[in-house]
Amino acid sequence: MSINRLQRVLKRHSYLFALLLLVVALLINFSLQANLFALTTINRNLANSLPLMVLVVGQTVVIIGGGIDLSVGAIVTLGNAILATRIAADASPGDIGLAILLTCGAGLLAGVINGLCVAYLRLQPLVTTYATSFIFSGVALLILPRPGGDVTRDLRTLYLSTPGGIPFTLWMVLLIVVIWLLARGTRYAQFLFATGGKPDAAYFTGVPVNFVRFSTYLWSGLFGALAALALTVSTRTGSPHVGDSMTLQSVVAVILGGTRLSGGQGGVVGSLIGVVILGVISNIISFANVPSWWQTLVNALIIIGALVGPGLVRLARKAVAR
Amino acid sequence: MGLSLSARHIVKRYGGVLALSDGNLEVTSGEVVALMGANGSGKSTLTKIITGVVAPNEGQLLIDNQLARFSHPSAAKRLGIVAVYQELSLIPDMTVAENIWLTHEPMTANFRLRGREMRTRSQVLLDLFSGTVGPALDPEAPIGALAPGERQIVEILKAISAEPRLLILDEATASLDRQQVIRLFDLIKTWKQQGIAIVFVSHRMEEIFRIADRTTVIRNGKTVYSERMENTTEQELIRQMIGDVSLHAAAHLESPAASPVRLRVEGLTAGSVRGVSLQLHDAELLGLGGLQGQGQTDLLLALFGAIPHTGRVLVDDRPVAFRHPDDAMQQGVAFVPGDRSTEGLLLIRSILDNLQLPSWARYGFPLRMPKAYSDATSAARDLNIMMTSLDMLVSSLSGGNAQKVVLGKWLMRKPNLLLLNDPTKGVDVGAKGEFYSLLANLRQSGTSILFYSSDDEELLNLCDRVLVLHDGRISAELRAAGLNHANLVAASMGTEQRL
Repeated sequence: MSINRLQRVLKRHSYLFALLLLVVALLINFSLQANLFALTTINRNLANSLPLMVLVVGQTVVIIGGGIDLSVGAIVTLGNAILATRIAADASPGDIGLAILLTCGAGLLAGVINGLCVAYLRLQPLVTTYATSFIFSGVALLILPRPGGDVTRDLRTLYLSTPGGIPFTLWMVLLIVVIWLLARGTRYAQFLFATGGKPDAAYFTGVPVNFVRFSTYLWSGLFGALAALALTVSTRTGSPHVGDSMTLQSVVAVILGGTRLSGGQGGVVGSLIGVVILGVISNIISFANVPSWWQTLVNALIIIGALVGPGLVRLARKAVAR
Repeated sequence: MGLSLSARHIVKRYGGVLALSDGNLEVTSGEVVALMGANGSGKSTLTKIITGVVAPNEGQLLIDNQLARFSHPSAAKRLGIVAVYQELSLIPDMTVAENIWLTHEPMTANFRLRGREMRTRSQVLLDLFSGTVGPALDPEAPIGALAPGERQIVEILKAISAEPRLLILDEATASLDRQQVIRLFDLIKTWKQQGIAIVFVSHRMEEIFRIADRTTVIRNGKTVYSERMENTTEQELIRQMIGDVSLHAAAHLESPAASPVRLRVEGLTAGSVRGVSLQLHDAELLGLGGLQGQGQTDLLLALFGAIPHTGRVLVDDRPVAFRHPDDAMQQGVAFVPGDRSTEGLLLIRSILDNLQLPSWARYGFPLRMPKAYSDATSAARDLNIMMTSLDMLVSSLSGGNAQKVVLGKWLMRKPNLLLLNDPTKGVDVGAKGEFYSLLANLRQSGTSILFYSSDDEELLNLCDRVLVLHDGRISAELRAAGLNHANLVAASMGTEQRL
C-alpha cells in the first residue's frame, strides 16, 4: 500500500491509533493482573464501564456535529434520580417500563433545551451546556435530595448475567456497535459530518445545518438517559453527584478514540475504545500499587500522553519534512 | 431538458446602494451566454438573484415563460438552476463521491446509502475529465488532499450530478489548467446538445470568444449590450464594459525613472501570484490594477512578509527575506489592508490603541502615556480625523475616518515603502480626497507607494504607472499616454489593446 493509501485508511478509520494504545495498555495490565481475561474480570470491568460507553455515543455525535455537550453528566444524575425514586425493590415490569420511558423523556427534554439554545439561538455550546448542567443537576436534587432508593435486584442480576457465556454488557456493547455501523450509512450521517466539517459549505449545498445541530443534542440527551439506566441498574441506588465525573471522562474518551473536537470526522467505535482505555489505565494504576496520593497524577499523565501522542507525531513529521 | 430564462428589469438595492438598476438577461435551452462586466458592475448580484440567494426589489424572473419567485436557493435548485462558484461548497474531510452526492445520495428503501453506486456513478462523472487530471482524483479521495483545479472539477461535477437545466459557471475556469479548460469546453458543447442552458461568467476574453454563443454586458448596474458573438469584437465589448472611451490620460507627475530603485522584485511566486517582477522607484506611486483576485492582494501580502513566497526581493538594493510582517516593519515597510474591520482595526478599542498598536515598543517600560497621547494627537490632526477624543471607540467612526486611523498607525512610523491593498473601498468621496492628498504628502517626503485599487478611475487619476495583473502575472505596464481606461480594461481581460 502506498503512503497515500495508508494515510487515507488511517484518516478514514480514526480509531486505529486508539486500538494500538488499547493493545499496549492491555498488555501492561495483563502483566500486572494475570486474571485480566477471565470471564468474571471482564464482566466486572464491563459492568463498570458500560454507563460511560453508552454516554459517549451521544457525546461523539454532538462532537462530530461541531458542538460539545458538557451537561451529559448532569443528565445522567437526573436520570438516576428519576429511576431510583420510581423503581422500588418490588417493582413490576410495568413500573420499570414506565420509569424508563420517563427517564428517556427527561433526557430528550434536556436535549431539546440544549439544542434550541445552540442551534437556533446560536449560543456557544461550551458555555450553554455548562449552564444547563446546573439546571439538570438542580432538578435532580429536587427529585432526590439525599442518596437513597433501592432498585429491584432482578435488574442487576440481568445486568451481570452471561447469556450464552458472553456477558450481557458485552452484548449491549455489540448492539451499540451494530446500531452505529447501520446509522453511519444513512444520509443523516452524511449531513452530520458535513455540518461538523464545514457548516458554510454544507448550508450552501442544501444541508439543513440548524436542524442537524439541534438533533445532535437530542441524541446526547437520550443516551444520557440510557447511561443513567445502566448505572442505576448496577448501583441500585440514586445519588446526587453520581454523574459529575462522567462529563469530562466522556470528552476525554471521545478524543482518545480519535474524534477531533473541531468536528467533521471520527466515530463511536473509537470512543468506545477510549472508554476501555480509560478503564484499563485505572486498573494498571491500582495493580501497580501506585500510592493512592499519586494515582490521580499518574492517571492524568497517561491520559495526556495518549492525547498528545498524535500531535507530537505530526510535529516530528513536519520537522523531518523541513 | 433545458429551460429558458428571462430576467427583466431587475432592481436590487442593498441599503442605500443600488447594485442593479436595470438588469436583464436572456438564456435559452442549448445556448451559452457570456455574462460580462467590470468590477462592481452588478453581474454577481444578478447571478445571485437568478439562483435564489437574494431576492430582487423589482423586476421579473421568467422561467419557461412562468413568473418565478425564489425565497431560498433550494427553490431555484428544484427548478434545475444550479450554479458553480469557486469551490465554495465542498467539505474537506469528506470524499469526492460523498461531496458530489451530498443531499441527493442514491439510497435503498430503508434509508441506507448505496455506497457502491455512489462510487461508480462518481467514477463515470470523473471520467469526463480523464486524461486531464492526475490519479489522485478518484471517488474515495478526500477533498482536502486535492489541488485547487481538481477541487474545482469536483464542484463542476457536483452541479452536473444534479441534472441541471440551467447551469451558471461563475469564474469556474480560474483554477483550471489549459488542458482542463479544453476538456470543460468539450463537455459544455455536449451539454448544449443535451439542451442545457449555460451562463458563463468570465473575465477571460479568449475563452468567451471560444465558447459563448451570445454575450450580455452589464455596466454600472444596467444591462447595456447583448449580441451574438459573431457580430461583435473584443474592442466593442471593452467599449461596452467601460462606457465612452476616454482616450486622454489624466495629467501625471513625470515618471521618476531617474530616481533610485527602492524596491526590486524578481520572479515572485506566492499564493495566486505566478512569477511577478517589478521595480518601484523612490517617491513613486505605482498602481496595481486588474480584476479582483488576480494576485494583487497576494503580491502585497508576500512583499509584507505575511505569506510564504519565493523569488528575489531587494529593498534599496539589499536582498531581503521577510518571513513575518515584523521583519518587513523593521525595514520600514507598511501595509494597509483592504478589509479594515477584520484586518485593519481593533474595533472594540480606542483610537489611541489603534494608532499606537505597531509602535508601543517606542514608549518604554512602563509606557510613557503622555507622549503616546501627544504623538497620536498630532497624527490625528495631520490626518484630519473627526473625533471628540482619542479614547473614542474606533467602531463609532465613519468609514472614511476609520480608514484614516488604519493609515495613521502606519504613517506614525514614517515608512519607506507603503503597500496599499484597495484601501478606499467603501470610503466616501470627501474622505477619498483627503486620502489622496495624504498620499501626495507621503510621496513628497520620499515614501514609495505600491497601490492596488479595484477602482479603475482612481488608478488612472493617481498613479504614474500601473501594472495590470491577470492570472497572477503582469499582463501590461501602462504609463504616460498608454495609461488610459481602455488599455486598463483590455489588459485586465488579458487582451492587447493599444489606442
